[in-house]
Amino acid sequence: MARVGVFVCFCGANIADYVDVPMVVEETKKIREVKFAIEYKYMCSDPGQQLIREAIVQHRLTSIVVAACSPRMHEKTFRKALSDAGMNPYLLEVANIREHSSWVHQKDKKAATEKAADLVRMAVAKSIANEQLFEISVPVTKRALVIGGGIAGIQAALDIADARIPVVLVEKSPSIGGKMAQLDETFPTLDCSQCILTPKMVDVASHPYIELIPYSEVIELEGFVGNYKARIKKKASYVNFATCTGCGACWQKCPVKVPNEYNMGIDKRKAIYTPFPQAVPNKPVIDAAYCTMLLKGKCGICAKVCQVGAIDFKMQEEIIEREIGAVVVATGYDLWDPKPYEEYGVGRFKDIITSLEFERMVSANGPTNGLPVRPSDGKIPKNVVFIKCIGSRDEAKGIEYCSKICCMYTTKHTILLHHKVHDSHAYVFYMDIRAAGKGYEEFVKKAQVDTAATYLRGRVSKIYKKEDKLIVRGEDSQIGQVVEVVADLVVLATAVIPPKDNPELARMLGISYDKYGYLSEAHPKLRPVETAKAGIFLAGCTQAPKDIPDTVAQASACAAKVCGLFAGDTMKKDPMISTVNTEFCSGCQNCVQVCPYGAIVTEEVPMGHGSKEMRTVARINEGVCQGCGSCVAVCRSMAISLAGFTDHQIINEIVSI
Amino acid sequence: MKKLTYYPGCSSHGTSEEFDKTVKMVMTSLDVQMEEIPDWNCCGATSAHTLSESLAYALPLRNLVLAEKLDNKTIAIPCASCYQRLKVTKYHMDNNPELALRINTTIVGEGTYTGKVEVKSMLQYCYEEIGLEAIMARVTKPLSGMKLACYYGCLLTRPKAITQFDSPEYPISMDRIVEALGAQATEFDYKTECCGASFSISNTEVVIGLSGKILEMAKESGADAIVVACPLCQSNLDMRQPDIEKHFGKQYHLPVFYFTQLMALAFGADPKELMFNKHIVPVEEALAKIGKVEPGPEKIKKPKKALEAESEVE
Amino acid sequence: MITLGLEEKNEILSEVNRRSGANVLECYQCGKCVSTCPVSNYMDYPPRETMQMIKLGLKNELLMANSSWFCLTCSACSGRCPREIDIPAVMEAIRHIAIEENYINDSKKVKEIRKFHEIFLDMVKRYGRNYELRMMAEFNIRTRNLFKDMHLAPKALLKGKIPLGVKPMKSAKAIQRMYKLAEKLDKKHL
Repeated sequence: MARVGVFVCFCGANIADYVDVPMVVEETKKIREVKFAIEYKYMCSDPGQQLIREAIVQHRLTSIVVAACSPRMHEKTFRKALSDAGMNPYLLEVANIREHSSWVHQKDKKAATEKAADLVRMAVAKSIANEQLFEISVPVTKRALVIGGGIAGIQAALDIADARIPVVLVEKSPSIGGKMAQLDETFPTLDCSQCILTPKMVDVASHPYIELIPYSEVIELEGFVGNYKARIKKKASYVNFATCTGCGACWQKCPVKVPNEYNMGIDKRKAIYTPFPQAVPNKPVIDAAYCTMLLKGKCGICAKVCQVGAIDFKMQEEIIEREIGAVVVATGYDLWDPKPYEEYGVGRFKDIITSLEFERMVSANGPTNGLPVRPSDGKIPKNVVFIKCIGSRDEAKGIEYCSKICCMYTTKHTILLHHKVHDSHAYVFYMDIRAAGKGYEEFVKKAQVDTAATYLRGRVSKIYKKEDKLIVRGEDSQIGQVVEVVADLVVLATAVIPPKDNPELARMLGISYDKYGYLSEAHPKLRPVETAKAGIFLAGCTQAPKDIPDTVAQASACAAKVCGLFAGDTMKKDPMISTVNTEFCSGCQNCVQVCPYGAIVTEEVPMGHGSKEMRTVARINEGVCQGCGSCVAVCRSMAISLAGFTDHQIINEIVSI
Repeated sequence: MKKLTYYPGCSSHGTSEEFDKTVKMVMTSLDVQMEEIPDWNCCGATSAHTLSESLAYALPLRNLVLAEKLDNKTIAIPCASCYQRLKVTKYHMDNNPELALRINTTIVGEGTYTGKVEVKSMLQYCYEEIGLEAIMARVTKPLSGMKLACYYGCLLTRPKAITQFDSPEYPISMDRIVEALGAQATEFDYKTECCGASFSISNTEVVIGLSGKILEMAKESGADAIVVACPLCQSNLDMRQPDIEKHFGKQYHLPVFYFTQLMALAFGADPKELMFNKHIVPVEEALAKIGKVEPGPEKIKKPKKALEAESEVE
Repeated sequence: MITLGLEEKNEILSEVNRRSGANVLECYQCGKCVSTCPVSNYMDYPPRETMQMIKLGLKNELLMANSSWFCLTCSACSGRCPREIDIPAVMEAIRHIAIEENYINDSKKVKEIRKFHEIFLDMVKRYGRNYELRMMAEFNIRTRNLFKDMHLAPKALLKGKIPLGVKPMKSAKAIQRMYKLAEKLDKKHL
C-alpha cells in the first residue's frame, strides 16, 4: 500500500496569513494513505528539505506531496530533495496553495483553508498513482546558428565561438555591423562606435569557430532542440567573394548612383557597392534593382575593370543547409516612419530630419564631413530643435510603448551639436527624461550644464514655415506657456519598432511574437533570454527596445545559455512526454494536427502479428515532445498517455474531492 | 444626371447668399440636380450643443429625417458648421441606436431615422463625387495667374473619425480644385487653424487675434486671395479684415472667395452674377491677376517619387 | 494651497468621464492640447490643466472657470492628442454640469458668450431658423453694448451682407415642441 508524506509550507506569511496551515495538516492526516504530515515555515529552505529527506527514510514513504508555492518556482528544488534521499524524483507532487489559494482568496480565510485542503487531497490522490520516471537523453549537434549580424549577433557569435563551439552567423545585408555601425559616438561615455565595433567585426571574420554567411537569409528551420536543420538562402551577389580582392575599382567606375542606405539617403552609393568602408566582409555586391547590366543588358563596366574576373552576372541565388543545435535570434530593430505627423509638415519641410539622419551627418565618416547641415540649403544650422517621443508613447499615431533609447541619444546629440557647431543652441522638447542606467543621469546632467541646451517639457503641436525658418510650437508645461522656437533644423527622435518581417520569421522558427512584432521571451523576468521553444534564444532589440549595454549583456547571456545546452554530449530532458499505444491507435492523425511542436509523425506497422498488411499509426518524437498534453485530449481512442499525467492519476484527483 | 439633397443652412439667406447662389450655378453647370430639404430648420450650430445635449442632436436629426424622405443618396451642405452638426449627429445616431431612439422622440410625427442618407460637405461632394476631371472639363476661363491660399477651417475635416474626409492637418482637396480651375494653390500652413468661429459676435477680440494670424500666414504664402468653404470663415476673414488690419497696423488686402464663386468664374459665368459686390475687401485687384500668365489649366500634381526610385545614371 | 485627501470620492472625475465618454485618467500631461488650442491663453485653465484638476477632483474651481465656455469645439486638440482623449467632450461635460448645477461665472466675457448662445437658440425657437441681424441687435441690447460693431453696420447693410428679412420655416411649431421635449430629455438623463 502507498505511504504518502505531506509537507505543508507557511511560506512565511504568504500562505499562513490567509490559510490555516495546521488545520490543513490535520485534514490531511485523515487520509488513509498519508503516513506522515507536517507543517514548516519555509519548506524550500535547507532545514525544510531536510525534513523531507528524513521522513522518506524514517517512514518508508512511497510518494511525497509538498503543499507550497507554484511548481514553476520550486518543483526542481523538491525533486532534488527526493533524489538525495534515494527516491525517484518524479514521485513528487506539488500542491500550489499559494498562487491558487492564499494569494487569491485573501478576504476569506475559511474558504481559502478548505480550498488548500482540497488541493492537498487531490495531490495525495494523484501521487498514489505516480510511477518512477527517468530523464530522457537526446543527442546534440554542437553548432549554433546566429541570425542577424548587428552588435547583438556579433557579441553572441563571438562569445559562443570563444567557448570553441562552432557558430554559423547569417546576415541579410552585405556587411555585418547593423545599426551600431551607423552611429557616431555612443552614450554615456561618448566612445566612438566605429572604434569599439569594427575590431569585433574583424574578429568575427577571422574567428576559426565562426562561419560568416553574409547577404543571406534563413528560410527554414526543422527539427528540435539540439537537432535542428537550417536552410539558408544565399542571395546572388554577382561577385565571387573567393576571388574578389576588395580593391574597389568596380564601384569607383560604376556609373549608376543610388540613394545610400548607410547614410540614410543623404548621399549616393553605386549599384555595385560595399555598404561602408569598414564593411565585413569588405567585398562588394551588385544591387540587382539598379544595375543596368542586369536590368537592360548594357554596361558591364565593373566586369571590365575587375582584374581578377570576380564579377559574375550569371550568378544565381543558392540554398545551403546547416545542422545546428541551438539558435540565437538577433534581428535588431527598425525606425518608425514619422509621416503621420502631418501637423509637423513631415515630408513637406526638408529641414525636418530624423535622429539617425542627424547621427549620420555628425559622424566622422558621414556624408557631410561630420557637420549637421540643413537639407534645404546646405547651411550649418544655429538653432536646432530636438523632439522626443516621435511615434513612441503615442498610440494615436505610433505605438504605446517607450522606445527607451531616445532620451539618451538625444542628450548625446545635444553634446555632438555643441561640439560641432560652437555657436549653436539646442532646444529639446520632451515629456519625461528617462535616464535609468549606469552613468546615465550623470550624463544628462553634464550635457544640460555643458551645452546649456534649453529643455522644454511638452509635446510639440505644430511646425510651420516662416521665410526659411521653421517655427516649432509647443507648451512649456513647467511655466504653463505656449512657446514658439524659431529653428533652422528640427530633429525627430523616431520610435524603435521591430523589423517588419519578424512575424514571418517567428512563424518560420515556431516561436511567438507580441502585438507589435517583437519576439516573445519565455518569461518576462525569469527567462528573458529563452523563447518558449527549447534551444531558441533572443538577443537585442528583436525582443524589445534596448540600448547597446543591455543588448550586449543579453547577447552574452544567450551565449551562456547555448554553452549550457551544449555542456554534455547528450541533453537531459524531463520524462513528462506522451507515448502512443499503437494497439489502440486508429491512425486518425488528429494528434498530428494539434501538436504545437510538430512532435508527432506517422509510421506504418503490421495489421497484426506477422501480417503483411500495414496500417498507419502515430509516433511521438521524444526529443521534440514538450508534454503539453494536447494530443492526449484529442485522441478519440485513448491511445495516447502522458507520463506523469496518466488518466489514472487525473481520475484519482477528481474522485478525491 | 446626378442628383443630391441640398441643405442650404440659415446663412444662405443672409451672410452667405453668394455661396448659396454660386453653388446653384456651379451645380447647374455640372449637370447636378439639387433638391432642397422641404421646410428645413436651423442645425443649432455651436449654441445648441453648448447648452443642451438633446437639442444639439434633435435639431439636425429633424433635417436628416426629412432628407430621408427624398430619394437621393447624399445630402450636400455648403456651410461647414451645418455640415458638422448634421454629420456628428448622423455618426452618433448610427453608432448609438439607444440614443437615436431617445432623440427621435423629440420629433414625434415627422418620421423615424434610418440612417440611409450620406452627409457630405459641398467641398467633399465636388472633390469626391464630381471629381477633378469633370471640373477641369467645364473650365472655359482658367484662373491662371491667381495665387490662392485655400483655407479649410476646423470643421470640414475634423474630427477625422467622424468626417472621414481629407487630412485634418494638411488637407488638399480645395487646393486640387482651384488647381483644376487653373489657379495656383500656395503652400499655406494655417489651412486648418481655427478662425474664432462662433465668437464672431460674442467674443470679437478672439476672432481678431485668430483670424489675424491666418491672414498673416496667407499673405506670407504669397497668395493674392483666400478661398474658403464656410460662411463663418468667410465673414470672419472678410468682414473683420479692416478691424484686423487696424488692430495689427498691417495691410493685407486679401479678398476671401467661396470656392464655388471661383468655380463659376472659371466655368465662364458673368462676374456680375457672382455677387462680388457683397465682399467687404475689394476683389478687383486679385481678379485682375487672371490671365497674367499663359492660360491653360495646370496639371494635377503627381505624388513625389519614392526615394528608392531616384537613381540616376551618369 | 490645495488640500487633498478630504473627499471620499472624486465625483467630478466619474461624472465627466460618464458624460463625455472619455477617460480623463489616460491624460499624461504632454500639453500638446494647450499649444494646439486657439483660445488656451484666454482660459483660466487650459485643457492640460483642466485634465489634471479633474484628476484632483477640484470641482468648484472647474465649474466656475471660464475654460469650458471658451472652448470652440474646433476638435484640433483631440485630433492631435496622443492618447486620443475627446477633450471637447470633456469641456462640454463640464459646461453642462455647470449649467445644471447653477455654477455661474461672473466675468463679462462668459456672460456674453452664454447670452449669445441663449439668444441664438431663442431665435431658432421662434422662427425655426436663425435671423442674423435681429440676433446681433438683440445681443447688443441684452449685453448693454449698443454700439458694438456699429461701424460695420452701414457697410454691411449697404452691401446686403446682413439681410433685413428672414424666411421663417413653415412648421416653427414643430421646433417649439422639439425644444420642450428636448428639455425634458436633458433633465431625465442627468
